[in-house]
Amino acid sequence: MIKAVPVMPDHQPQNEQTAMIGIGEYRVGSFPMMTIGLGSCIGLTMYDPNLKLGAMVHIMLPESAGRMDRPGKYVDTAVPLLVNELAALGCKNRSIVAKIAGGACMFEYFGTNLNIGERNTEKVRILLKEHHIQLAAEDVGGKVGRSVTFLPANDGKVSIRRADGTSSNL
Amino acid sequence: MKLSTVQADAIQELGNIGAAHAATTLSQMLGSTIEMSVPAIKVIDLSQLGKYMGEESAAMVAFELQGDIPHGGYILFYITRESAVRMTNTMLGMTEINRPLSEMDQSALLEVGNIMVSAFLDATAELLGFVMLPSPPALTIDMAHAAMQSLIAQMQEETNEVLLFSTELTCEEYKIDSDIIMMPERSTLVKIIALLENMVNTS
Repeated sequence: MIKAVPVMPDHQPQNEQTAMIGIGEYRVGSFPMMTIGLGSCIGLTMYDPNLKLGAMVHIMLPESAGRMDRPGKYVDTAVPLLVNELAALGCKNRSIVAKIAGGACMFEYFGTNLNIGERNTEKVRILLKEHHIQLAAEDVGGKVGRSVTFLPANDGKVSIRRADGTSSNL
Repeated sequence: MKLSTVQADAIQELGNIGAAHAATTLSQMLGSTIEMSVPAIKVIDLSQLGKYMGEESAAMVAFELQGDIPHGGYILFYITRESAVRMTNTMLGMTEINRPLSEMDQSALLEVGNIMVSAFLDATAELLGFVMLPSPPALTIDMAHAAMQSLIAQMQEETNEVLLFSTELTCEEYKIDSDIIMMPERSTLVKIIALLENMVNTS
C-alpha cells in the first residue's frame, strides 16, 4: 500500500509544525509559516538575518479606518504591528528584509473598479518605506492565486506556489 | 452573527427553492439527473476560510447581487476543475480529460453559471417578492481560496465573518460535482430574514 507522505517545504525536518496563517492573522518566530490562496490579499514576510527570526501576516485590505480589533487584516496596522513585534525580540528595522506576494485581481470584471489587490500592494510599499524597511522581493499582481511558505530557520527562504502547481523562490 | 433556528430554517428553505430551480436547468443542459444536497448555512470567521476552501483548482463564476439592493453581496457557481472539464466535455461532445480549459470551455462555464444563477435568483425573487438580479458574470479558474478571498475583500460592509449558504449539485452519470454559494452582505441577509419571517407570520 502506498503511504501518503506530507509534502514538507524543502524537506525540512518534521520536528516543527508549519503554522497556517489565515486572513488577518500573523505569527512571529523561527518556525515554518504558511499562508494559502492569496488573491487580492497580501502575504507579507519580514526576516531578520542576524537573529534568524521572522514574521508573517495575511493582509486583506489597505486601510483600517480606525478599527483596532484585527490589526493583521489591514496594511496600515499590520506593518507597524510586525515591526513592533520584531523590535520586541531585538530586531532592528534596518536589518529586516521584507518580501510580499499576492495583490492579484482574480475577477477582472469586478476588479477593475475596486482594484483592492493593487491598492494593497501600493500601500504596503509606502508603509515599508516609512518604517525604513527594505523590500527585497515581490511577486504581485496579475490574475493568479498564490500560496506562500516562509522558513525563517532556513535563511528566511520564501517560496510561492501557484494553482497550476508551479513554484518559485522569492 | 447568530441565526435563530427559525431563521436558519427559513434561509435553508429559500436556498432549497433556489437551488432546485438551478438544478433543473443544469439537468436540462446535461440531459442527466442532478442530485441536490440539503443547503448548508455556514458562518465563517475570515481567519478560518482556509478550512472551507483551499488551494484546489476550481472554476468559479461569480455575480454581484443587484436589483432591489444595489450591492447585495455575491452568488457564485463553483465547480472543481476536473468536474468543469467533464461538464464541458459532456456539453460539447468531447472526451479528453487531461487538457487545459480553452476559451470555448470558459464561455460554456460562464453560460452554465449564468443560467443556473438566474434560475436560482428568479425563484427566490418570486418567493420573497424582492428582486435580486445577477450582475454580468466574472469567471476565474484558479485556487478556490484566492477567488473567494478576493470577493470577500470587496464586500461593501466591513465584517470579520461571512455567511455562506451553499448547496451541492452533483451529477453521478458524468461525475460532476458543483456548488451554488450565496454570500449576502449583512444588510441583505437582515432584509431577507425579515421578509421570510413576515411570510411565516402572515401565512
